[in-house]
Amino acid sequence: MKKVLAMILAGGRGERLYPLTRDRAKPAVPFGAIYRIIDFTLSNCLHSGMRRIYALTQYKSTSLSRHIQLGWNILSAPLGEFIEAIPAQQRIDEHWYQGTADAIFQNIYTLQVERPDLVLILSGDHIYKMDYRKMIAFHLEKGVDLTVAAIRMDRKLSREFGVIEVDGDWRIVGFQEKPEEPKTIPGDPGGILASMGIYVFNTEVLVRRLIEDARSDSSHDFGKDIIPIMIGKDQVFAFDFRQGDRGGTGYWRDVGSIDAYYEANMDLISVIPQLNLYDSQWPILTYQPTSPPAKTVWIEEGRVGTALNSIISNGCIISGGNVKRSILSPNVTVHSFAEIEDSILLEGVDVGRKTKIKRTIIDKEVQIPPGMEIGYHQDEDEKRFTVTASGIVVVPKGIRL
Amino acid sequence: MKKKILVVEDEESLRLLYEEELKAEGYEVLTAGNGREAIQQLETGKPDLIILDIVMPVMDGMETLGRIVSKERKIPIILNTSYSGYQQDFMSWAADAYVTKSHDLTELKKKIRELLEKGKTR
Repeated sequence: MKKVLAMILAGGRGERLYPLTRDRAKPAVPFGAIYRIIDFTLSNCLHSGMRRIYALTQYKSTSLSRHIQLGWNILSAPLGEFIEAIPAQQRIDEHWYQGTADAIFQNIYTLQVERPDLVLILSGDHIYKMDYRKMIAFHLEKGVDLTVAAIRMDRKLSREFGVIEVDGDWRIVGFQEKPEEPKTIPGDPGGILASMGIYVFNTEVLVRRLIEDARSDSSHDFGKDIIPIMIGKDQVFAFDFRQGDRGGTGYWRDVGSIDAYYEANMDLISVIPQLNLYDSQWPILTYQPTSPPAKTVWIEEGRVGTALNSIISNGCIISGGNVKRSILSPNVTVHSFAEIEDSILLEGVDVGRKTKIKRTIIDKEVQIPPGMEIGYHQDEDEKRFTVTASGIVVVPKGIRL
Repeated sequence: MKKKILVVEDEESLRLLYEEELKAEGYEVLTAGNGREAIQQLETGKPDLIILDIVMPVMDGMETLGRIVSKERKIPIILNTSYSGYQQDFMSWAADAYVTKSHDLTELKKKIRELLEKGKTR
């Protein structure tokens, strides 16, 4: 058995998710009513047999560290197992991490203490279900220095991804960061292989390349700097995500913008979502304080508490209001005659009587006063809230209305 | 222009020996007794090459090496030590050369010349 250390890059600022990232790092952003984005990567690690896992945090890490401490303190320390958040320690450099490679380089002492054979580097920003064991087996079978997980994407999305060029054996022969003119998949001119930001490295090669990178003028990034350099001198292969995709649907999302975040959430209320949360052999774990079960109250003339085509979490009370095609995190209260449609309400939101809310994301603990309308009058919404290009309104945490 | 060498060594007699011998070779020599002093010298003295001991008080050579590399990415560094286990330390791989401590400085001087030569072409 090879000794593997998982390192999750969890310092993403997620600027395009603002204001959801105003008070938290991107991996800590709530998703799918009860989860945080990082829960997907952590669950993948756990179900793939990883037992030594570090999450490298930096910006606005309090909420993320707390979540990991409360929800993921589930391994056995006496057996040498751990899931631990490491904040930027400034042990080597007094700056924040300059790039993904710098984040690992700054934690070189951690690698030294652990002395793994392989390092599995992951991003805490993505939503997918993957068995990393399949990728590690591929890496060992090929006997290579670096394996990069790759997923087919539409050619026209090339500017959003690191694009991998492979030969017939899936050896990586080229890497372009967010190109306009991408190298397409052989035999598939409409498709590109996008890097998923998932790497398996032999530890010694990783350390050597990180040190060389640290000593050169570079942006200190795996995609921009390390991989292109390694293609020339090391054995670098791509791993087809389909071989390790637990869901079998090719689902992988970088919920990088509010619109993408909204769509990915809303997919969960469809009859058969692309992302299956009901696989009992691959449950997504999270931290959830115990709350009473969800309930609906009132059935009388003109006042009926209902929730249709929606996800309703524990602690929610739909009290004489109507909820349609929406996602309610724990402890949301919807008062009488309120109408909520196509919306995402995060934990503790309280919706007053006779309010109307449509295509709106409401962050934690916001109280919507009686009679307010959000999502119906774009001009007014824009004065108070963030409104995306497609018209999704975001009501930030802590706002007093 | 004389090339400037920073000698980081906690043992005073050795530091003096290095200073004398390297001055005789035509170098300007700066000295530091530990890593923290070395970082200050790096900022104020702008050396062209650093000779770094590993076992030192206040801030040891490995930590100093990491800090030097993140401040001055390209400055050549020679690890100079009598302690043989240092290669266990990943950070030691960031050095450009390794020389075992000795009162005979032939090997060290040779490495200095090589690295400074290489630096010219960089």
